[in-house]
Amino acid sequence: MRRLLLVLGNDVRRHLKSPLAILIYIAIPMVMTALIGIIFAPRTEESTLPPIAVLLVDQDKSFVSKILLGAFDVDEMKKMFEVTVTDEAEGRKRMEKGKASAMIVIPEGFTLDLLDAKTTTLTVVKNPAEQFLPDVVEEFVNTLAVMLSGAVQAFAEEAKGIRAMLDAPVDAIPWEALGPELGKAQKKMVAAGKYLNPLLIRLKEEKTKAVGAKTQVTKTDLFSIMLPGMAIMFLLFIVQTLMRDIISEREDGKLRRMMTTPLRPMELVGARLLGGWIMGMAVLLVMVALGTLIFRAYWGPFGWFLLLGAAASFWTAAFFGFFSAMVKNRNQAGALGAPVILAFSLFGGSMMNPEAMPKAFRAVGAFTPNRWFIDGAKLVREGNFPLVPLIVLFASGLVLAALAVPALRRKTSV
Amino acid sequence: MRKLQRILHVAWNDLRIMVGDKVFVFWSLVFPMLFIVLFGLLFKASDSAPAVAELTVVNLDEGRWATYFLGKIEAPTIEMKIVTSEPAEYSRLIVLPADFSARIESRRDQALAFKKREDASTKAAARVETRLFQAIARVLSELVLYGDGDLAKFLDGHAEFRDIVQVKSRFPDNTVTVVPSGFDHSIPGTTIQFIMMMVIIYGGITVMEDRKKGVLARMLFSPLSKGEVFQAKLLGRWFMGLVQALILIVVGRILFKLNLGSFPLALLVIAVFALAMAALSVFIGSVCTKEDLIIGLAVLLANIFAGLGGCWWPSEIVPLGVRKVAMISPAYWAMDALHKLRFFQGGFADILPNLGILLALAIVLSVVAARSFKVRD
Repeated sequence: MRRLLLVLGNDVRRHLKSPLAILIYIAIPMVMTALIGIIFAPRTEESTLPPIAVLLVDQDKSFVSKILLGAFDVDEMKKMFEVTVTDEAEGRKRMEKGKASAMIVIPEGFTLDLLDAKTTTLTVVKNPAEQFLPDVVEEFVNTLAVMLSGAVQAFAEEAKGIRAMLDAPVDAIPWEALGPELGKAQKKMVAAGKYLNPLLIRLKEEKTKAVGAKTQVTKTDLFSIMLPGMAIMFLLFIVQTLMRDIISEREDGKLRRMMTTPLRPMELVGARLLGGWIMGMAVLLVMVALGTLIFRAYWGPFGWFLLLGAAASFWTAAFFGFFSAMVKNRNQAGALGAPVILAFSLFGGSMMNPEAMPKAFRAVGAFTPNRWFIDGAKLVREGNFPLVPLIVLFASGLVLAALAVPALRRKTSV
Repeated sequence: MRKLQRILHVAWNDLRIMVGDKVFVFWSLVFPMLFIVLFGLLFKASDSAPAVAELTVVNLDEGRWATYFLGKIEAPTIEMKIVTSEPAEYSRLIVLPADFSARIESRRDQALAFKKREDASTKAAARVETRLFQAIARVLSELVLYGDGDLAKFLDGHAEFRDIVQVKSRFPDNTVTVVPSGFDHSIPGTTIQFIMMMVIIYGGITVMEDRKKGVLARMLFSPLSKGEVFQAKLLGRWFMGLVQALILIVVGRILFKLNLGSFPLALLVIAVFALAMAALSVFIGSVCTKEDLIIGLAVLLANIFAGLGGCWWPSEIVPLGVRKVAMISPAYWAMDALHKLRFFQGGFADILPNLGILLALAIVLSVVAARSFKVRD
C-alpha cells in the first residue's frame, strides 16, 4: 500500500508540474456554460424578446402614414420595436446585414385610399434569415390593420370631408360649414371613448403551469442545469489524459525500468486507477467551486453530490483504465479517445437537453456515464438521493475495473 | 514550377495519409453527421409552431355576445375547444365570464383571463394572443361604428366589419419563397465547426508529431527547403478541410437536399475559411509540444468560435452585444457569407467583404505560422 501511495503521489506531482492541458479542459466547460447562458438565459418578464429591428418605407408620405410612424413612437411600442425609416433598397441591404427583422412598406396613395374607404394593402417584407421575429412583426401589422380599418369606418363621413378638402383649393373650402361637421366628429369621439377608454374588453394575461410541471428557469437554474453535463464531458477528457500515462510509459520504456524496482504490477495498476479516480474527483471539485463562484450554480445537498462525483470519477477512471489496456498505442488512444468522449457527450445529454433529443438518441444515452451523472445531479438538485444513478455508475464502474485490472496487469508485466 | 510540384507532392501525400486513417472518417463524416441530424431535427422541432394553434374557451356567458366574439376569433390557424369549466390539461385558455354579455350591454369594461402554459409553444401562444387582440379590435370597432343605441339589439343586425387595410407578407425580391430551416441551418454550421475542430486537432497534432519524431528534419534531406515544407504542410491541411467540407456538402445534398444558394461561391467561402484554419493548425502544432494541449485548445477555440459565429443557433435569438462580440470569430464571417448566399441568393459582390476579412485572417495566420514553424524542437 505504501508503494502504491508513493507512485500515486509522484503521479499527482508530475501532473501538477505541467497543468496547462488540464487547466484548458477545466476552462472549456466554464466558457461554454457562460456562452450558452448569456444567449439562452431568460430575460426580464417585461421584455422576453430584445427590441425587434423594423424598417419602415413610407411611399405615401402623407398624414396617415405619419400617424402610423407615430404609433411606433409610443413608449410601449419602443420596448418592442426599434423602427428606422428607410427606402426599399437600403432596407434590403440592412436585412442582408442582419440589422432588421422586417420591413413595412406603406404604399403610395395609402392616405387617399383610406379617405376614399378603398381597400389598400400594407406590405411586410420579412428577413428570410430569421424565423421567429419577422412573424411577430407581421402579426403586429395585422392587428394595426384591423384597428386602422375600424377607425376608417368609424370616421368615414369625416374622411370624405377631409378628402374633399385635400382636392379643393383653399378658397373653395366652406370654412364656416366646418363647425357642425367638427361637432359631429367630436360626438363620435366621445361616443368611442365609452368603448375605448378604458377598453371595453381587454385581456388579463396569466402564465400557468400544469400540476407537477417545473417552474420557469432562472439564469442560475440554467447554469445549474448545464454545468453537470459540461463537467462530466470534460472530466472524461481530463481523466483520459491522465490515464494515457499507462500507454506512453509502456511505449517509451519507462514501464520496463519501473518494473526493475521492488514494485509489483498490481501496485502500479492500482496506483494508476486510484490516481485517475482521485484526480478526477479533484478536477470535478474545482469545476464545482468555479461554477458556484462564477455562475452561482447550486448543486443540492453537497454530500450527495460528492458521492455522485465519486461514482462518476470512479467510472471514468475504470473505463479509461480498460480503454488503455485495449488500445495498441498512444496514437490509437488519442485517435479513439476523443470520438468516444464526444459520442458519450452527444448521446448522454452533455451537449443538449436530453428531453429535446430524438427518442433513438435518448435510448443510446442510457449507455453513457454522462446521462447517469446528469440525471443524478438533477435528482440531487431537486433534493432527492440519486440512488439509481449511483448504483448504475458504481456497478458498471466495478465491472469495468474488474476487466481493466487483469488486462492492465498483463500489459504491465514486461 | 518544380518548387510547386514538390510542395504539391508533399501536401498530396499528407492528405493521402490523413484520409487513409479510419479516424478521419469518424471526424469528417460520422460525428458531423450525428451533429447535423441532431441539430437539424432540433431546429425543425423548435422552430415550427403547430400548424393549428389550440385555444380552450371556458364559455360561462349567459348571453349572446360570447358566440359573436368567438366568431371574430375563428381562423383556419386556430382550433377552439369550447368547455364549461377549466380543464386540467390545456395549452392556452380564455375565460368568458357569466356576465360577459351583460357587461358589454351595460358598457362596463372587463378583463378576460387569458392563461398560457409556461411549457407550451410560445409561437402558438403568440399566434393565439394576436388573434385575440385582433378579435377585440374588431368588436370594439363595430361597437364604435354601430353601438350608439341599445346594445341588446346590436346583434340583431348591422353592417359587417370591412378589412379596408389588408396586409401582404413576402420575402425580399429574388431571395427565397420559404424560410430555410432544419438541415439548411445545421449543415453549414456543422461543416464550419468541424473544419475548425478537425483541421486544428488533426493538422496540429501531425505537425507536432512530425517535428518531435524528426520527420520534418529528415524532409530537409530531400530537395525541399524549410519554407517549402511549411507551405506543403499548410497546403495539406487546407486540402483536408476542403475534402471534409466536400464530403459533408455532398452527403447533405444527397440525404437532406441541402441548398447553399450558389454552390461555387459557398465553396469559395469555405475554401478561404479552411485556409485560415489550416494556418492556425500549423501555428498551434508548431508551438505546442503535447497532444492533449492541442486537443484542448482545438476544442476550446472551435466551440467558442462556433457558438459565437452562429453555427449552433440562428443569430436572431442572440443578444445584440453578443452579436458584436461574435465578429472576432472567423466562423461568424463564414456563416454570414453562407447566409447571404442561401437566404438572399447573394452574389460575389455581396460576400466580398466577408471573403476579404477571411483572406486577411488567413494571410496573417499564415505569416505567424511561418514564423513559428520549426523542424526541430
